[in-house]
Amino acid sequence: MDTFIQLTVAGLSNGAILALAALGFVLIYKASGVINFAQGQFLLIGAYVVWALTVDAGLHWALAVAGAIGVAIVLGLLVERVILRPLVGEPTISVIMVTIGLAQVLGALVQIIWGTEPRAFPEFIPDDVVTVGGARMGENRLWALGLVVLALVVFAVFFQRSRYGIAMRAVADDQQAALTMGISVRRTFALAWALAGVSAVVGGILIANLIGVSGEVSNIGLLVFPVVIVGGLDSVPGAVVGGAIIGLLTAYTGGYLGGGLDAVIPYVALVAILLVKPYGLFGEVRIERV
Amino acid sequence: MATTTGVYHTSYRADLALRHTRLEYVRLALALAVVAALPFYASPFWLHVLDQIGIAVIGAIGLNILVGYTGQISLGQGGFLAVGAYSAGVVATKSDLSPLVGVLVAVLVTAVVGAFFGLPALRLKGLYLAIATLASQQIIVWLIVHWDFLTGGVDAIVLEPATVFGWTPTGDFDWYWVIVGFAALATITATNLFRTGVGRAFVAIRDHDIAAEVIGLDPARYKVLAFAVSSAFVGLAGALTAYWTQILTWERFTLDVSILYLAMIIVGGLGSVAGSIYGAAFMIAIPAYLDQLSLRVSAESILATDLPAIKLLIFGLTIVLFLVFEPRGLARIWQRAKDYLRLWPFRY
Amino acid sequence: MKLRIGAVALVLALTLVAGAQSRSTAPAIKIGAIFDRSGATSDVGVPYSDGVLAYIASVNSKGGVKGRKIQLLSQDTGYNVARSEAFYQQLRTSGIVAISGWATADTEAFKARVAADRLPYVSASYAESVANPSDTPYNFFIAPSYSQQMRIALKWISRQNPGQQVKVAVCYSDSPFGRSPLEDGKRYIESKRLPMSYDTQCAMRPGGTDFTAQLTRIRDSDYIIVQNTSAPASTLAKDAARLGMRARIVLLNWAADELFVTLAGAARAGAVGIQPFGTTALKVPGLKAPTQWLQSHGGGSIHRKGIHYVQGWYTTAVLIAAIRRVVAQNEDVNGPNIKTALETMPAIGTGGVTASIKFSKSYHAGQRGSRIFQVTRGRFRQIAPLTTP
Repeated sequence: MDTFIQLTVAGLSNGAILALAALGFVLIYKASGVINFAQGQFLLIGAYVVWALTVDAGLHWALAVAGAIGVAIVLGLLVERVILRPLVGEPTISVIMVTIGLAQVLGALVQIIWGTEPRAFPEFIPDDVVTVGGARMGENRLWALGLVVLALVVFAVFFQRSRYGIAMRAVADDQQAALTMGISVRRTFALAWALAGVSAVVGGILIANLIGVSGEVSNIGLLVFPVVIVGGLDSVPGAVVGGAIIGLLTAYTGGYLGGGLDAVIPYVALVAILLVKPYGLFGEVRIERV
Repeated sequence: MATTTGVYHTSYRADLALRHTRLEYVRLALALAVVAALPFYASPFWLHVLDQIGIAVIGAIGLNILVGYTGQISLGQGGFLAVGAYSAGVVATKSDLSPLVGVLVAVLVTAVVGAFFGLPALRLKGLYLAIATLASQQIIVWLIVHWDFLTGGVDAIVLEPATVFGWTPTGDFDWYWVIVGFAALATITATNLFRTGVGRAFVAIRDHDIAAEVIGLDPARYKVLAFAVSSAFVGLAGALTAYWTQILTWERFTLDVSILYLAMIIVGGLGSVAGSIYGAAFMIAIPAYLDQLSLRVSAESILATDLPAIKLLIFGLTIVLFLVFEPRGLARIWQRAKDYLRLWPFRY
Repeated sequence: MKLRIGAVALVLALTLVAGAQSRSTAPAIKIGAIFDRSGATSDVGVPYSDGVLAYIASVNSKGGVKGRKIQLLSQDTGYNVARSEAFYQQLRTSGIVAISGWATADTEAFKARVAADRLPYVSASYAESVANPSDTPYNFFIAPSYSQQMRIALKWISRQNPGQQVKVAVCYSDSPFGRSPLEDGKRYIESKRLPMSYDTQCAMRPGGTDFTAQLTRIRDSDYIIVQNTSAPASTLAKDAARLGMRARIVLLNWAADELFVTLAGAARAGAVGIQPFGTTALKVPGLKAPTQWLQSHGGGSIHRKGIHYVQGWYTTAVLIAAIRRVVAQNEDVNGPNIKTALETMPAIGTGGVTASIKFSKSYHAGQRGSRIFQVTRGRFRQIAPLTTP
């Protein structure tokens, strides 16, 4: 039973980090229908910028995080304007490939600017051990869980009550109609990418806190796919639930079965969901019209 | 029939012909002559690169059939190459059968596996299909790494040199002819495929699958068939990789390889066999050239110290720039060049 | 259109930059080198490759080998076999006489090729499978093999607990490198009839961010032997500490270094390291040369750079020593002669950094034993002298 609790707690906290990483992804898809294969690299850049500002430039961590958020927003806006705008209307494969190409470019730039040596992440998130119901975990995991819940609440309110949130939902539903209602589609896209940048910085910080600042931070980008497919590509609560499910599955497999199976189980889950409920648990079912 | 006012056809046969004008035949002959002469003039390094390009051409044609002609997005190319390569590898190491049998087995096995992984395509489209194929890629690689008894797991499978009818191709020069032979076979097969009803069905499904269904095409059948045919080509490429490199490790078949092949057909031109060839050549020659360059610059220059990052950067930039400025790829650029010369001094 | 012209211009500019090359009049001796500076093992690959480059530079600064400079043809292949293979194809037609290799996967993949091409391959991979000249005549490595290190670790564990039953688990990178010593560890326990249970299910996914699940399975272990590089090992140590596990962590050579100490934070305390190359804090004369070179060439302190720098330095030193021997005997500098020199030359001292390094015609691993260290008060300190299993 002890093991079960420990694994559950570990799984949920990992899932929380996955959910934060996936959040940016969902936001972009929800607003503009674009799949961002470069999400992992956004996390990477967030982590590196915070590290650079804290360690290299010696700023206080709060300033560094603010700075990184600023950089992420600018990056998001740039990407949307320069790369995705020209591809409006192009087939899905082209949009997918352009974000893949972008991922390579960003990864390469990070390598060129900061090198590949792994570095310790500045310790401003406390790492003390906390016992929850018999299971032990680091305090930074608790922070991750807290941040996810906060994000969930904030975004729920945003999409239900705020003008910009409702505008985003309108644009996601039908761009033409939104335009006729006077909603600036361009600004909505820009906002979505900016918000995605913010969540990427937070996700990147949490991951780098666990494994150090190195190219490995972007690997979580691939795990985002099982999360959003299980949860639903355009659903924020879906990302959270998806993250929890994938986190728990990985933990239970690694803990009870071992042998490296935990590396492949997210993808098996992905295929399973696609065959049973293709739009995910919370995703909006797309009805194809001729 | 080419006249001063344009090209006209007076029979169906002429309409379906692969080449219509004398100029096109001359160009084809020239291209073949260059292909035949290249290995005699290429340095050992570039000969090796040419062999790589030849195999990639076969794989790229296969992927283009699926993605470019039938509109089914696939991120699982690396996995299918692995299936082909390891099938051939297992045949080669665990039996005494001729390499030709190994190639045949690889083609068939990969086609079946491809058809299986194509089943999600019946329910999924576009993006969801892309992600499903991404998952299949990761799962296939994981199976290869962990299915020790069959594949040697994380260790490499080492093949003996292949001998067919008493002849053993040794070295890149011999292999060039084998590879180019298979590549020519693949090119002709693919081109002819799209002159048949099956090929037209594929294109119909890409353009508008609901309309295709309405006029009587069974999308399920043709989608699965597209996966199978495409995977057959990829299986051939995988088998050739196995026999040519003689060393099989799973790292040759990761997601990066899938992305590379997608880049080849996008840069080359979706829905074009010639585009696949241009794209394959382009995406392999450029990194090879950078490798050569890095050995000649001083060790302090950024090219030498950050070579992998630079290669990655240029790879990513190539994809992004092509998609933003010329989404229809090198084939379109070549077409525009030909049109320009043909129509000059008129603009269109 | 403009951007595309710009991209072409960039490539052309790079080509022009390439025009600046130095020419040497004496026939240089060419050595190939495969590095990992950006891939999965770059955490240790970067200092190692810097050490290789540094040693070559220091040899050339003193006039090379009897007036002949050493020219290193190197490339970062990011721990990717396909890229290493492509580079190898390039190398073998470039006139090299030896190769400084890196990854276990590459070394395994090339072992037949280098034998056919007759190129001595001195690798940073210490997999036992390439130590046997009857299988792999042209492969060499200067440290005790991973299996040997595993045996040393198991021997140390059994010495700490004479006669008592202990639970040993191995956590390893899910790769050829990681799996290399697993079987041999099992065989050692059986052959010495050690009272140990031996669990090998803790596979560490490359790129994994959290090993809590794997550790939960082996929660009541007494010892965890880690066969991985320092960055993932440090994550493992932190996860184990967080779970409150009592297991003592025993790191094999690629994890037992300064980077582990830095990244693991408080979890480093008490970790044991089987490190044939010692630490940069050892007071041995052999550390002087690499320390001074690093300092005078803007690399900073050797303590920050880490022991793998010294590892790369001395690995290359052994290869160059063999080349010197060939030149001194007035023989052609080619692969087979270097191989013979490596096998027949007298033991090479490294000024106390390692045990003396000696190959033979029947065993191509340069050492059989290792010192053992433990992290106390923030640093690895020696707790046992040279130990052989």
